[in-house]
Amino acid sequence: MGFIGKGLFEGMIVTARNFVGSYFDKERMVTVQYPEERVQVPENSRTFPFLVFDDDKDPAGTMRCVACKICETDCPPQCIYIVMDRDEKGKPLQRPKAFDIDISVCMQCQICVEVCPFDAIKMDNDYEKSQYGRFDELVEHLPQLLKSNEYYNRIKPTEATGVDAKLKADKEKKAKKAAPATAVKPAAPVPKPVAPAAPKPAAAAVPAARIAIPEDAPFTPEQRQWLSGFLSGVGGSGTGVAPATALPAPTGEATAPVAEAAAPADAAPAAEAPAGGWPWHDPGLGMQQRLDLAKDTPLADKLMAAMAQTDCHACGYDCRGYADAIANGAESDLSLCLPGEAETANMLKKLMEGAGKT
Amino acid sequence: MIQPLTDEKPYTLTPGSDGLIETQTLEVSIGPQHPSTHGVFRMDCVLDGETVVALKPVMGYLHRNHEQLAEKMVWLGSMPYTDRLDYFNSMTNNWAYALAVEKLAGIKVPERAEYIRVIMSELTRLLNHTCVIGFMLQDLGAWGTPLLYAFREREKILDLFEAVSGSRMMCNYMRFGGVRVNLTDQDLVVAKDIVSRYPGFLDEFEKLLTSNEVLLARTQRVGILPKELAINASISGPVARASGVEYDVRKVDKYGVYGRFDFRVPVGDIGDVYDRYYIRVLEMRESLKILQQALRDIPQGPHIAPEVKLRNFKVPPGDGYGRIEAPKGELGFYLVSEEGGGKQPYRYHVRPPSFVNLTTLEDMCLGHKVADVVIVLGSIDIVLGEVDR
Repeated sequence: MGFIGKGLFEGMIVTARNFVGSYFDKERMVTVQYPEERVQVPENSRTFPFLVFDDDKDPAGTMRCVACKICETDCPPQCIYIVMDRDEKGKPLQRPKAFDIDISVCMQCQICVEVCPFDAIKMDNDYEKSQYGRFDELVEHLPQLLKSNEYYNRIKPTEATGVDAKLKADKEKKAKKAAPATAVKPAAPVPKPVAPAAPKPAAAAVPAARIAIPEDAPFTPEQRQWLSGFLSGVGGSGTGVAPATALPAPTGEATAPVAEAAAPADAAPAAEAPAGGWPWHDPGLGMQQRLDLAKDTPLADKLMAAMAQTDCHACGYDCRGYADAIANGAESDLSLCLPGEAETANMLKKLMEGAGKT
Repeated sequence: MIQPLTDEKPYTLTPGSDGLIETQTLEVSIGPQHPSTHGVFRMDCVLDGETVVALKPVMGYLHRNHEQLAEKMVWLGSMPYTDRLDYFNSMTNNWAYALAVEKLAGIKVPERAEYIRVIMSELTRLLNHTCVIGFMLQDLGAWGTPLLYAFREREKILDLFEAVSGSRMMCNYMRFGGVRVNLTDQDLVVAKDIVSRYPGFLDEFEKLLTSNEVLLARTQRVGILPKELAINASISGPVARASGVEYDVRKVDKYGVYGRFDFRVPVGDIGDVYDRYYIRVLEMRESLKILQQALRDIPQGPHIAPEVKLRNFKVPPGDGYGRIEAPKGELGFYLVSEEGGGKQPYRYHVRPPSFVNLTTLEDMCLGHKVADVVIVLGSIDIVLGEVDR
């Protein structure tokens, strides 16, 4: 204890030290004179979402968004509005005609970015969004939302480099997969197939480099079978067994309950494509063309052909997995295909009724 | 001749039975836009002279249907909304919700994620307590100085939060089974730097406040909350501990990896405003101890459980209650997942510490001057986003 008012006096010393210190010590001088000076925002910093496109010359043509509507569905405050672009015949074009984000509703939670399977939507860090109006001015439309990949690389270098590497790897994998396919099926966008495609184009095994599993490899027969199917899908070589094992529910209705018991509801494994790929698995084709290609195939293939073929995982599976899950009864909801919209849902219902399952 | 205003109790200057001037009671509504109510909160005070004889908290001005919204949304969808409950402490809100869902779904959280959660929530406790003291002093009339010192320190922690999670306050950082992004080495260095400098700031802050005669005169023996009442009204957090209730969910439940850290729970004995102030200072020092241990021991590894799906996440049927020691007290989420559903909660209920602690406001304020009501409210530490939900 000291004299009365000692505590007050000590407090005054602290204030005085802070006051004087702010002229000399950078630690105590924390104010930034905003419009003249700016703080560098951290790389992770987020404000509002934007859409990424790849080529500066053609922003609308090279945008990554395929209008699968996952972000629209998952956005907690429901601030995204998407309309898929269609040509004059009503064929979906796999890109948005309208993509609006109401930034007065958006709460910058980043969930759209996390759920996007195409790395198409990313968070900006531009915080100067003031406008002169309260209504239309705060709704961002497609032209304002589109920003180049180069811009994305500039604001978030680490993240963007990772995304670019991932997309490149995906592309290479796809190209590898598609390479043997061209030998079997006609080029994708040709509207009329010459003949009803063979039920299993893959069965016509393409002579290609064969990845063999060594005889002494420590696998159980099931693992070996799955692996050979997997390798045939990845490496593009048919082992003969692969396509058959890839489809859990072949055709008959009688086998369905068995398959249902075998397939756990949530963990339906994504079946591997036969070497040539499924001919209808091309988002550029119209619904009727896809169904024609899958005319003489098992139910699961027909169901798959009815889907939007974007492999967007909006339903929780890829297109193949969702079709298989419906066919073997593991999934009863027929309205999960977001990019396919009502067209797919109706067609799935029709196909299921046609097959005698409701 | 001047007529009295009302017939029943005419205003008169005749002395009452105790020899003092007889006065009328007066009902004063403080808030909802009063700056000292920390948000949109109203207190209906009945005053006799300047003394409070009755006080009714009126809540609901910031009600935004949080619970009902969550019941219409997938599990992940309400995670960003929990940020907005107690908007000072979004990290701990996230954790409480994630903990409840993890309990219900039986998800095991990786080691590193648990440590990251501890680091983030202890930093949150630091910034919350620092600011609360600043606000409380602001309510006393120390306009600006202590609050801005507090904000200066808080901003350093918020900078780290922004670098890690992307946002200063609405972090949306935790996910079921872990955290959204891993901490980099750079982030850990920054965290260590904050932790090493914080004791210096606390010493300075205490020199400014703890023995300040004005502060002592205004806070000691003001707004006493008896221990029995604190227990009966299920008060939690620093308010309960200041009244001598030794209860800390970190010690009782040992959720996460709190069982591994060596720290003590400070307990007060009188339960007045000064105790509630000082318990927070002591708690910050204990938090720093936890932070030092966590930053020393944090292992390498994944930051999120790989089996947890982001979309189409389903929770098996059942109900669960996850609770943590948030800076304001026990924050709990009660969740029910429905049979045959599981994509969204059937029932979602928040047990907010601010709301429960606020219920004893009248008991603390009775008999004090109206100016003390403001600091009693400040010492409870409420955030209206959490009170009204």
